[in-house]
Amino acid sequence: MKRKVLFLFTFFLIFSLLSACQGDTLLDPKNPVTLTMWHNYGGQMRYTMDEMIDEFNGTIGAEKGIIVNVTSISGSATLHEKLTMAANNDPGAPELPDITTAYPKTALILAEKDLLVDLNEQFTEEELAKYVPRFIEEGIFDNKLYVFPTAKSTEVLFVNNTLFNRFAKDTDISFDDLKTFEGIIKAAELYYQWSDNQTPHIQNDGKAFYIPDSLFNLTQVGYRQLGDEFVKDETLDLASPVFSKIWDLFYEPMVKGHIAIFDGYASDLAKTGDIICTTSSTAGVVFFPPAVTYSDNTTEPVEYGILPYPTFQEGEKIAIQRGSGMCVTKSSKEKEYAAAIFLKWFTQPQQNLYFISSTGYLPVTEEAYGEMMSQEINNISDKNIKKLLSTAIEMQREYDFYIPPTFENIDKLEKDFENKIRKIASDSRKEYLNHLKDTDSKGANKWVGYTAKEAQKILGDL
Amino acid sequence: MIVGEEVLVVNKLEQIKQEYKETGTLGLSMGLRLFLFLILLVFTMVLGIIVILLLTGTFTAGVDENKKLLQNELNHISQHISQYYGQLSVQTVDFSRNLATSIEKMLLEKEIDLSGLQNNPEILEEILTDQFDRALFSLEKSKSSGVFIILDATINNKLEKSETSRAGLFIKNMEPNILNSSSPTIVLLRGFPNIARNNSLPLHAQWDMEFDISKAPYFHLPMEYAHKESLPLSRLYSWTPAFTLPGTSEEIMLCSAPLIDSQGNILGVCGFEVSAMLFKLSYMPDYSTYSRIFCVLAPVSKDTIFTSGAMFSGGYSFKKNTLSPILNIEERRNSFYSYEGGKNEAFLGFHVPLELYPKDSAFADQKWSLAIMVPEEDIKDTLVSSTLRLAFMFTLLMLLGILLSFFLSKRYIKPITSGLDIIKSNDLSETPKTGILEINELIEYLASQSEEIHKKTEQETPSAALNEFARNIKNLSPAERSVFDLYVQQYTAKEIAGILCLSINTIKTHTKRIYTKLNVSSREELLLYISMLKEAGKDLK
Repeated sequence: MKRKVLFLFTFFLIFSLLSACQGDTLLDPKNPVTLTMWHNYGGQMRYTMDEMIDEFNGTIGAEKGIIVNVTSISGSATLHEKLTMAANNDPGAPELPDITTAYPKTALILAEKDLLVDLNEQFTEEELAKYVPRFIEEGIFDNKLYVFPTAKSTEVLFVNNTLFNRFAKDTDISFDDLKTFEGIIKAAELYYQWSDNQTPHIQNDGKAFYIPDSLFNLTQVGYRQLGDEFVKDETLDLASPVFSKIWDLFYEPMVKGHIAIFDGYASDLAKTGDIICTTSSTAGVVFFPPAVTYSDNTTEPVEYGILPYPTFQEGEKIAIQRGSGMCVTKSSKEKEYAAAIFLKWFTQPQQNLYFISSTGYLPVTEEAYGEMMSQEINNISDKNIKKLLSTAIEMQREYDFYIPPTFENIDKLEKDFENKIRKIASDSRKEYLNHLKDTDSKGANKWVGYTAKEAQKILGDL
Repeated sequence: MIVGEEVLVVNKLEQIKQEYKETGTLGLSMGLRLFLFLILLVFTMVLGIIVILLLTGTFTAGVDENKKLLQNELNHISQHISQYYGQLSVQTVDFSRNLATSIEKMLLEKEIDLSGLQNNPEILEEILTDQFDRALFSLEKSKSSGVFIILDATINNKLEKSETSRAGLFIKNMEPNILNSSSPTIVLLRGFPNIARNNSLPLHAQWDMEFDISKAPYFHLPMEYAHKESLPLSRLYSWTPAFTLPGTSEEIMLCSAPLIDSQGNILGVCGFEVSAMLFKLSYMPDYSTYSRIFCVLAPVSKDTIFTSGAMFSGGYSFKKNTLSPILNIEERRNSFYSYEGGKNEAFLGFHVPLELYPKDSAFADQKWSLAIMVPEEDIKDTLVSSTLRLAFMFTLLMLLGILLSFFLSKRYIKPITSGLDIIKSNDLSETPKTGILEINELIEYLASQSEEIHKKTEQETPSAALNEFARNIKNLSPAERSVFDLYVQQYTAKEIAGILCLSINTIKTHTKRIYTKLNVSSREELLLYISMLKEAGKDLK
């Protein structure tokens, strides 16, 4: 009997010693784990992100023993390159962070190198069911959830209302024309002439009306709207009649200067009043400044209108689904568990709506997308974001969303396609301007550029 | 149950006390004695360990180690920062000199002076476009996060803001920590948009055409001192405390120097930027020991750190607007420095002065320090937890020692008591061997003694010895006689003690006296005589 008591006593002592050394959970608030994080929420969005991370660190983080430390804020293109460099272990590349925002195309590269955590392991089915299914679906490859939806976006039409109204007053163009691409093209031609007429002493100095922020996205969505697929078997289907339709619609206005040819963000042109409207990501809303600065340093306060994504005539109402999610890189069990806690917190409807209300992203849970968002709109002070969210709700109701395919080569394909189209268009524009110099404007109208078939040949090696 | 045990313990103690009174010695059992000796040994050893740890400084090692850790980290980072800021200061001066020469040459070619730049956007754009490559090259060479040129002229002096607006160029590297990057991380924060477009650079999200110099010490101070003092260029550059450019969201520090042409005309200023992110990533202290450690580069006065103008780096970045704008420095004897703010903020750490200017610089009176700090509670927690760990280990050691002593004393005494039980049995010759040599020898000795007594009694004339024995019985005292009578009735000492209601020790004392008076040496001998007397038919009463 005595022996049993002694044995139990000794066992209890050893057990207490071991449990004191190891801890009974993965996290210890007295010895917190630090998670490094890269994100692409720069500019004004940075305030919101900083504030939210501070809040997490001061509440749930402090309670559970997690510190989130942001070590990079870059644009999504730079982030893609940094992550690819880090994944490839390129010389001079930084170490991969524990959490990073990434587009599916970037996540795919990391996942193929077995660097990402399958987030299915960190979330229960019940938890995942709270998110909008198509957002979750976008981050799944090989049945593994690599990109967790934190804030999504789609494309809308941003219109500089102040400049547009000035132009519309003198013409028969209205906002209704901006519902279709054909209407935009018509308005663009009229705007070029109208702006050219503002300076009668200078010939052919009309301004561009429109620019798509991503030609590749426009083409992909255009195909889908018109009932076809642009990317088939990881190649571009340029032989489709839809390509001819899109080419015919956009090529000539680009050459004639009605649509801007620009290798950069549309918001850069919007800052200087060089365009009136653009199809761009909802998340780009904070990049449209409240005033336009002209070349003589005068500024003009402007208001923006945010309209649903235009459709091709006879096309269906379809828009792209965009926006990076967050990926967790493989590290230790503690860090992976801690990262999942952060993701759960960050996407709770309350946090999610706070984030979108100052960034232009869209919420990711069904609960946040519903009644909660309609209520939240009333509390938003930023006029543009208010308009944007109303448009997003409208699109959510009326549009179908297109999730672009993800494969390793997609990024290169996109770049090559856009560069080649821009090259063809800008070369043609130079020729066109030379042609203008040599002939009168009537003669210039007889100028003939590349047909869709010729363009297919030039683009054919994509 | 527990009360019952307590009563037993009290009774036992009472018994021991009683026996001590009666016999004059403490009647502790051998097992208990051994147990107490072993515990004493354990206590002595633990005390010895504590003394050794005290002498070798293990108990104070926690504090010393923490101090050393922070000091090493501070030395390491301060060397790097000092070197980097020094290099950037030199590069600012070089950049300013080259830029001033180049712009002066261009103005000469165009046959205009500084006043000719006012309200002349074409020339301003041409000059700034011309300097773009130089600026970009300097930016890459300096490994800073931005480079800027501000000319003392504005594009449009008819505007209301023209008094506080100056034309210039501000190029930012958004990722200065990446060594190898093919995609552009360079953006234009200030300047003509065409410069960005012609060089395929995006405009910064918070781009503006010109600099707002309404609150811009980075512009006014070098300009003012260049006008006022006849110092060389290397004594005219200045560093700003951390601040946010109007309309932007990131904190930066700027190093700026005046642009002075060969005639002494001041054309503007130029310099480099260190962004908060660049600072944070470049000078991150090791946060494996203290996750909330951070490094602060800040303007200081004698006993105050101005955190409002500081750059921070660390695993956990304090939200600057919640931190007190000033921290008071207090030196503690043989310990850390303490840095206290107004909102119950207390940090411990160390700081060193950082020389950003030569002694004869126009800005030599601006003092800067680099500090490494950890929230006070974190250091205290570490020290308390290490002390608790030690105390726990010692307690555990003691408990294990006591347990071991208990086991050992029990194990050690067990064969001895069983040996004694054997001895107490009547027939020593047939007893089995015990595992202890000494007990075996004792049994053998007692067996041989018993045998001798038998032989002796057999050999000796029984009548004479018996008569003497019978005579001696009469000399027994009444108490001894009553004990003797019970021996006659074949009772053992223990049973006799029970019958007479006396302690065993009292019986033992009586027995010893009986042996002496009857001239016998053992119980066996006594019982032998008694049986012999009985056989001889003698009266034992």
